[in-house]
Amino acid sequence: MNSRIILILFIPLLFGLSSFKEKEVKKSVIGKSISKIELLNVDGSMYNIDSIKGAKGFMVVFTCNHCPFAKLYPERLNALHRKFEKLGVPLIAINSMDSIVYEEETFSLMRSKSAESKFEFAYLQDGQQLVGKEFGAEHTPHAFVIWRVENRWVIKYSGAIDNNGEHPELATPYLATVVSELLENKATTLQETESFGCRIFYRK
Amino acid sequence: MNIQAIKKLVFGILFSSLYQVANAQTFNPLWIPDTMSGTQYNLTIKDTLKQLRTGNQTITGGINNSAFWGPTLIMNTGDTVHMNIKNNLNDTTTLHWHGMHLPAVMDGGPHQTIPPGTIWQPYWKVTNPASTLWYHPHLHEMTLEQISKGVGGLIIVRDAQEASLNIPRKYGVDDFPIVLTSRRYNATTNQFVVQNVSYGDYMLTNGTPDAQVTLPKQMVRLRILNVEIERGYDLGFSDNRTFYIIGNDGGLLNAPVSATKVKLLVGERIEILVNLGADAIGSSFDLMAYNANQAFGFPGGEPATSGQFGSLLNNTNFKVLHINVGATTSNPITSVPVTLANNTYWTAADATINRAISITNGNPGGTPFNFDNASFAINTINKTVQLDAIEKWTVTNNNVFGHTFHIHDVEFKIVARNGSAANVGAHESGWKDVMYVPRNENVSFVAKFNDYADSLHPFMYHCHFSNHEDDGMMGQFVVVNNESTQIKEMQKAIDYSIYPNPSSDKIYLKLENSSTEVYYVTITNANGKTVMMLPQPEMYKGIDISSLSKGIYHVQLMDKKTKSISTKSFFKE
Repeated sequence: MNSRIILILFIPLLFGLSSFKEKEVKKSVIGKSISKIELLNVDGSMYNIDSIKGAKGFMVVFTCNHCPFAKLYPERLNALHRKFEKLGVPLIAINSMDSIVYEEETFSLMRSKSAESKFEFAYLQDGQQLVGKEFGAEHTPHAFVIWRVENRWVIKYSGAIDNNGEHPELATPYLATVVSELLENKATTLQETESFGCRIFYRK
Repeated sequence: MNIQAIKKLVFGILFSSLYQVANAQTFNPLWIPDTMSGTQYNLTIKDTLKQLRTGNQTITGGINNSAFWGPTLIMNTGDTVHMNIKNNLNDTTTLHWHGMHLPAVMDGGPHQTIPPGTIWQPYWKVTNPASTLWYHPHLHEMTLEQISKGVGGLIIVRDAQEASLNIPRKYGVDDFPIVLTSRRYNATTNQFVVQNVSYGDYMLTNGTPDAQVTLPKQMVRLRILNVEIERGYDLGFSDNRTFYIIGNDGGLLNAPVSATKVKLLVGERIEILVNLGADAIGSSFDLMAYNANQAFGFPGGEPATSGQFGSLLNNTNFKVLHINVGATTSNPITSVPVTLANNTYWTAADATINRAISITNGNPGGTPFNFDNASFAINTINKTVQLDAIEKWTVTNNNVFGHTFHIHDVEFKIVARNGSAANVGAHESGWKDVMYVPRNENVSFVAKFNDYADSLHPFMYHCHFSNHEDDGMMGQFVVVNNESTQIKEMQKAIDYSIYPNPSSDKIYLKLENSSTEVYYVTITNANGKTVMMLPQPEMYKGIDISSLSKGIYHVQLMDKKTKSISTKSFFKE
């Protein structure tokens, strides 16, 4: 039987890419405070949300280079950033994909992606996958809104950017709606929607 | 014409056009997969998108240029085919050659996992006769999700016997692939529902919603595959016309079988001839599933229209393909042959080993369906078969629901249902690799396990309902050759060298002892990620490394006899 064990070690997943079923019941992250975000940006600087002056909140979008669904959104992310940054709610994109399993997700290819797609927002590498885990980011893209409440950053929204990847003109803009409501100090009409895209696998 | 007559005419036109509007159904042209042929097949599996519904596109799995379901591979019996499989999915996968007789290590079952970005290169000599086989992912616990995405394709095997017959064989002209499935969609996102789902709500025929096709006014061949999660189809035509079954899963029947209905369960294929010679050009009819009022336990017969075991298509008759009759082609086939093949089938008397398998568990809230009270465990070999043994396997279903039973490696002959050969349907009288095991029935088949012994790498047998298989309704067997399994010598690592090193396009592995047989070669990059998987590579051909990026790589070579591994490194320029 030893030889069989060798085979199991030899051929399958060396890096524990977890092809398990998503059977666990999801816990809501709405209202959860998150610790600081300090990650390497594609411009080479460390991006720290606490150092962004005047920020009332952030649109945090987990995305990546290779996922076909994530590829539909760069222009919309730029538009969201352009619209809300000046109102104190910048957009930041975070790549939590495992860059060992996915060679397309290395930092240098993130830089290329940001340049090619003309990202106007920060694109941060979550190399340890700690930020993605803390948010419970499941797919690329998966959008969150965090809002400053006293001295904490609190998750106000988790889910999709909108409900139409292919046709932005037909989409219901979930993320923009939530941010507008928060800026007007209104109760949000949406807290959670279903994110969809490529699954983010976390190293064990 | 008087006023009354004009009024009547106008009313008549208006009424008939309204009637037509009320009855009009819009159809989409049936997508016919591209073909690939020859002996070298390059398949890249990828995530992609397809517009299947109004609104959001659906994330699907495609191969090469397709967005749902892959190209049809056309192979010839006797050829050695080489596969170059690149996994560009976001997830690990495997690719199983369903129905193909080949070494276990090439079979693409749950053990041959291909990580994202990795290349897998199995190869084998095609020994199956002319038949309609298929390929699909087989990653344990992920089979439903990956097949649901649309990863898969058909394989058409051709041989001299089939070529000698006067039957349709012009792909997409008079010989059509028809792949039947259905999906449930998330109402907000339009994504496929893959959790707690046994049935789809909307048909996809060759990945086309509400499909229609124009078939020529002559004898036409349909190769039909059921690639559902659980649903069976009781197929027939809307005008109840007779058709002729010419092939089962594993190839041609000895003679055509005429029928007006045929049940096709998950994983099964059937080849039929349909005569459109008497139809008017421009007329139309439908290929239907007559699934209303099936016996209890028929998958898809449940009355619920929603929920895990419900569907909008359950317990109802529905269209699977709208057929328009078009012009006759040149050199049409107009008749059905009297005989097709000269298969000699195994009989129960040929079997020297009898095995019994029971379908167990599956009660709500308890252990999911399994065989003999044991769920699939990837390190457990459930059965050991001697090379060249002829065995009879009887699968007994004293359970709550029907299932399909599939075995890898071999094509079998169904010899009895409930103990009697007379109960075996004419429609399933040829070589099979999937059989329907209805509730309260036992079904026996006989197969010969020839050619490929491998004491390490197992073959699978399982229910082909992907949710059942994912939940553990699967077992594994090894085929062993007693002469070769006795070798338990000291496990001395095999020595070899890599040349040229560094290299930019090809490397060769020079074995110190030329009698060493290589079982598996794996190449990993400096980070330890597997980039190439080469089962039993043909060493003299070298290994094409041109697709790898520059850097240091490690070669792990496993010896066939001792299964010991030795590692060497090379530099890709």
